[in-house]
Amino acid sequence: MNNTETSTKKKYPRHTEKVMKGNFAAAEAAKICKAGFIPAYPITPQTTIVEELAEKVGSGEMDAAYVNMDSEHSVFAAAMGSALAGERVFTATSGQGLFYAHEVLHAIAHFRLPMVVCNVGRPSIPWNIWSDQSDSLSQRDTGWIQFYGESSQEVLDTIIQSYILSEKLEIPVFVVLDAFYQSHTSENVWIPDQDLVNEFLPPKQLKGTEINPDKPIAVGGLVQPEHYGKFNYDFWIDINRVENLTNQIGEDFYQKFGRKYQAVEAININKDTKIILVTISSITTTAKGVIQHHPEVGILKIRLFHPFPKNSILEALKDVANDTLLVAIERNFMGDKVGAMMQELREAFYGERYFKMIDVFTGQGGKDVPPITIEKIIYKAKNNPEDVIWIDME
Amino acid sequence: MLPAMEFLIKDEKVFSGGLSCRGCGWSLLVRHLSSILGENTVYVVPASCFSIIAGPYPLNEIKGTIVHTIFAAAPATATGIRHTLDRQGRKDTNVVILAGDGGTFDIGFQALSGAASRGENLIYLVNNNGAYMNTGIQTSSATPYGAVTTTNPNSNFKKKFPKDLMGIIAAHNIPYAATASLAFMEDYRAKIKKAKEMEGFRLLMVDGPCPPGHKVEPANSIQVARLAVESNLYPLFEVEYQNYKVNYRPTKQLPATECMKLQGRFKHLFKEENKHLLEETQKVTDYNWRRLLALEKLSVEFVL
Amino acid sequence: MIEIRGHARGGQGMVTAFDILAKIFSKLGDYQVQSFPAFGVERTGAPIQAFLRIAKGEILNRSNVYHPHLVVVFDETLIDLVPVFDGLRKGGTVLLNTEKSINHFKKNADSIFTVPATKISIEKGLGSKSLPIVNASMIGAIMRLIDGDMEIAQKVISENVPAKPKANSEASVLAFENVVGFGESELKTKEFLDAHSAEKIDYNIEELFRKQKDKTEYKNPIWSQPMSLNKTGNWRVLTPEYDKKTAPCSSNCPAGTDVREFIKLAGEGKFHEAVEIIYEHNPFPAVCGRVCPHFCEQACNRSDFDESVNIGGIERFLGDKFSPEKPIAKPITKLQKIAVIGGGPAGLTAALRLRENGYNVTVFEALEKAGGMMRTGIPSFRLPNNALDSEIKRIEDAGVEILLNNKTKISEIEKDFDAIIVSVGSHIGSKMNIENEKFVVDGIKFLYDFKIKNDRNNVNKDDKVAIIGGGNTAIDVARTSLRLGAIPTIYYRRTENEMPAIAHEVEEALAEGIKIEFLTTPTGLQKNDDLLNLKMIKMELGEPDESGRRKPIVVDGSDYQLQVNHVIAAIGQKSDMFVFDNQQIKAKQGKIEFSSSKPIFSAGDMAWGGTVTEAIGSGNKVAAEVHAFLQKIPYQQETSVPNVVVPVDLNFTYYLKTPRIHNQITHKTDFTENFDEVVQGLSDEQILAEGSRCLHCGDCFSCGNCFNYCPDAAIHVDDNGRLRIDYDYCKGCGICVQECPCSAMTFEMKEAENE
Repeated sequence: MNNTETSTKKKYPRHTEKVMKGNFAAAEAAKICKAGFIPAYPITPQTTIVEELAEKVGSGEMDAAYVNMDSEHSVFAAAMGSALAGERVFTATSGQGLFYAHEVLHAIAHFRLPMVVCNVGRPSIPWNIWSDQSDSLSQRDTGWIQFYGESSQEVLDTIIQSYILSEKLEIPVFVVLDAFYQSHTSENVWIPDQDLVNEFLPPKQLKGTEINPDKPIAVGGLVQPEHYGKFNYDFWIDINRVENLTNQIGEDFYQKFGRKYQAVEAININKDTKIILVTISSITTTAKGVIQHHPEVGILKIRLFHPFPKNSILEALKDVANDTLLVAIERNFMGDKVGAMMQELREAFYGERYFKMIDVFTGQGGKDVPPITIEKIIYKAKNNPEDVIWIDME
Repeated sequence: MLPAMEFLIKDEKVFSGGLSCRGCGWSLLVRHLSSILGENTVYVVPASCFSIIAGPYPLNEIKGTIVHTIFAAAPATATGIRHTLDRQGRKDTNVVILAGDGGTFDIGFQALSGAASRGENLIYLVNNNGAYMNTGIQTSSATPYGAVTTTNPNSNFKKKFPKDLMGIIAAHNIPYAATASLAFMEDYRAKIKKAKEMEGFRLLMVDGPCPPGHKVEPANSIQVARLAVESNLYPLFEVEYQNYKVNYRPTKQLPATECMKLQGRFKHLFKEENKHLLEETQKVTDYNWRRLLALEKLSVEFVL
Repeated sequence: MIEIRGHARGGQGMVTAFDILAKIFSKLGDYQVQSFPAFGVERTGAPIQAFLRIAKGEILNRSNVYHPHLVVVFDETLIDLVPVFDGLRKGGTVLLNTEKSINHFKKNADSIFTVPATKISIEKGLGSKSLPIVNASMIGAIMRLIDGDMEIAQKVISENVPAKPKANSEASVLAFENVVGFGESELKTKEFLDAHSAEKIDYNIEELFRKQKDKTEYKNPIWSQPMSLNKTGNWRVLTPEYDKKTAPCSSNCPAGTDVREFIKLAGEGKFHEAVEIIYEHNPFPAVCGRVCPHFCEQACNRSDFDESVNIGGIERFLGDKFSPEKPIAKPITKLQKIAVIGGGPAGLTAALRLRENGYNVTVFEALEKAGGMMRTGIPSFRLPNNALDSEIKRIEDAGVEILLNNKTKISEIEKDFDAIIVSVGSHIGSKMNIENEKFVVDGIKFLYDFKIKNDRNNVNKDDKVAIIGGGNTAIDVARTSLRLGAIPTIYYRRTENEMPAIAHEVEEALAEGIKIEFLTTPTGLQKNDDLLNLKMIKMELGEPDESGRRKPIVVDGSDYQLQVNHVIAAIGQKSDMFVFDNQQIKAKQGKIEFSSSKPIFSAGDMAWGGTVTEAIGSGNKVAAEVHAFLQKIPYQQETSVPNVVVPVDLNFTYYLKTPRIHNQITHKTDFTENFDEVVQGLSDEQILAEGSRCLHCGDCFSCGNCFNYCPDAAIHVDDNGRLRIDYDYCKGCGICVQECPCSAMTFEMKEAENE
């Protein structure tokens, strides 16, 4: 591999290139996906998403109902109501806002409502507004699908694909950005033309399962024990379809837009790989730069975090040797002995493959993860692979 | 003169068989509400007795759309529905929140205030039965002074007067807010009709009988509600943009005890050693009534 | 292990009962216990279950009890509703709360026991009538089956019930003693636990898996089936029913008139229909509307609200203006001939009824005109002759033969008739028994003389007239004297409260300027030229006598004298015994003992009463008795006490206070020689307004309250416009009954089904 900057920038037909922040890319995505209902409530570092959407709706650039709610709890409750009536809904939140809305997340998922919401990750009290994935990862069990984007482009593209996935399965989707490293980072983004998006993601059509005053029904009422498990069974069936459908939609998207996304992305993973860094979000990019100097180190980027893409991971690692060391990089702390990534990896390999794995906590509460930190991780992995390592504690 | 009544419901919009207790206020108020609003209505129901009454899967008690939602944010859910129906060209559909006093005065208060502040085009109906009845009679901030609940048992009965929701909601400067009583059915129905014809955020607070919660014989449900009005414990009035109008003035105001003595939740107040508490209740009831009349007078004198 | 499953309704106390049972069992021996409930989400009244396990060792099962050794049913109505006997072990025992015989339930299990727990709980005042709490009784009954120790049970019950420990403890003992069953229970705790360890149940698991569906349809669950699939009628304990009860006006009418019904029709403007209702019992509405004391109005529940309905005014209006056209005489269909001696209200009414019934009836009237006391004793300013004439005429038109100027007696006519009714009234005034009584004029005679013969008995202008007595005759004599130009004063030995005269007649007399002196009575009389010296003495009221009125007692030394021109006594009347050949016969209502070849009956004033309306009622009754006698069918007077609506039954909230429309009364300063009717009739409009003041006591008038207030939408209006309770859904809250303005519903413990 070489590390010299070359002008190999790809060009995409029926796109416009802009330099924009991740938050603005997310807002732009909501617009081109023709979201019709945006309940809004500010929270750093998400705020500029809803501000930009207010601007877009206010200027007439975007046709949607934009409502300033009284809290994130109400934001999600309103999103739920709108989705029940069949609208394509978009909103964004972050950290405490997401925690506050937790109750509603369950309701939306178990109502089987499609929607896409951006979460810009930040941790909880004591106050911290910087990058951390503890907020969204702690919502893993609410029933929402979770994607983690690496770049503004990926965020934009993932939002488009998520609407397809969400509306097909009737399961809501989080698209998670890193605070500041993505949300407030301006970079090149190719914005697909509206008609191109329309061909891929037509404006939302009613399916007939929405509430409709012409055909009165009740939804969400009491379910007695004899039925409740059957509801969950159906949810389980569809959760099992997420991984394959993600890959298939990624393939379709590639055909249409020229950019390819799958549930996972394997970088430099082959039979000679000795160490694999398992990453999500923006750390991946920095790691990609660092491993250019470490040919024996590969990266497994987890784009679809929930439900965890076990098959895609096994497929990506099918050629690697059994003595390869897997390093789970955790920009989260779940109050547990290991981080969220480690837990998921162990579960994914159980009964399938055995790898030596170590867990690395880093980048907590927005602590920068520069190349040197990645180097330290690789060093540790090579020289003194303890089970759990906290980096940058000096 | 004959009783000023008739068969008020020409077209029933509820089904029998609801899971309410005997003599339940919820069932009755929804029965009349739905008969006026008609089937082109979406009812948004946060956790409350009505969540249960309305029907376990797959039954529905109302001939209308019900969306059951989370306790704390029914007005927010309704907001989402309202805006989406509007975009679908369904401005004619009523979107109505059916909440209890817990879901309104307490846990749902923020969402209520939010929706009222935004002027959402919703009707909010609060069935104020003065406690969390669905969970088995726990104190809410609407629980009356002196009442016993399972979280204010025995001599630890509630020693605070309920908060003035109507005053708070009036301060939101909304087009319409009114109190109503099931014992004054025609007044209640007129208020529903009036609210239906208006736009913006409208709130109706109904004094809902709850025989198990109030420890009242089910047959006396309406009688107790009537005495509450006749004793000024529960005055009937409406507020339009902070302008108060009293709808009913008892010919002869009854003592509050006339209403309270029928309710087991106040039983202990009638012990000799608690006589002063009854006097206190009467004092505050009279004060509230005088204050209401003063607000009404003020509303005439001060016009924007 | 013993496994027990209970079935009850929410609110009956079963959960507490099972909790208490667990505590009792743990004290009965060294046992492990486990008890817990299984709730639905329904409220009070809905079916629930509770479970109890007792074992000598550890209990290794925390699931519901599916295979009980004992099923306990707290509410027998659950049997048709819930599969209470499901999974009962072979030879298992059932305990039911019921008053029915065990035989009803034989098919359900081998070993059945019953206990009347509801009855016991109501007796002991546990719970409310609408929801008796039966838990203590059921515990007592279970103790009997499991050979429990009642001392322990009572102690644990007392310590653990939320209220009324003594009553609960007593109820448990009563129940223990009142268990009924075939033979002995085989569930005696110690023996049973010694003999039975945990038994294994064989399941067919493969079969269960075969039933599992691989596909479900729950992705977008909707609640779209009508709630009415859930029937709530079986929650009901007390049942509301529409019930037409008796109104006090009707029940208090001596003639038996359906007052409520004719007032209702009059209020609706159906005057012809209204008068027909009166005619069913009373042929004299124009008379009674004027002179009856209006027993109906005295009982009118509206008096407790504002003022009674002016029923008399309405009756008079109907009698005056809407009496039916000339009735057609019915054919004579019966062989027997009947004589009526005395053509007053009782005799004429009896004659009319019997004539309508197909008998040949002849009335013997002593005077030149029929009508009895209506004719002779009531002055024309109160009852004009034309009102009376037209009503008597209608009786004649109906085929009753009246022989006038025909004073007769039984012995003269008995050979020509099959039955004789004697109704000669009471036309002879009672004596005061004072000196010189020959100078005293009999009030009854005075009225008769003036009305029939225009004889003024020398009462002239400005004469002072002393009238002794406090009844209607006294008043009528006084008012007649006034019109003759005299100055009448009434002397009565008691006070106004005790006066037997009709209150409004007294008021009218006072308004006309007649003086009444109370608490005074004559003791002697002396003639002094043209004047009479009347000795009087003052009275005071003592203890009540047998009539309930306070007895007047002489005040010693309070003698005084009056000088008057006339003394007229109106202190009571008796009957003329000529009809009985002057034998002193004590007449009573109906058949009397009198030696005659024919059955003799009596009716009217001479039998009982004293008012026109009572005489009419007496006539109706005697006619029925004569008919029964002649047809040899049993005659039974009504003995059942009707369910009469009283003020507390009514819900006055739904009525508006509306002043009574009174008949106008002519007020003059001088009535001399003015014999015009004093009280004026009402107009059509006034009748409609006054009729609508009726409260409709006990009679549904479709106000809509029950319908409007039913929380469960379980009342509807059927195709015929009638209100119907849907017992499939009625939970028995009783609001409809409570809010019924007119008490046209009952609320009792009974079973009810839809028609």
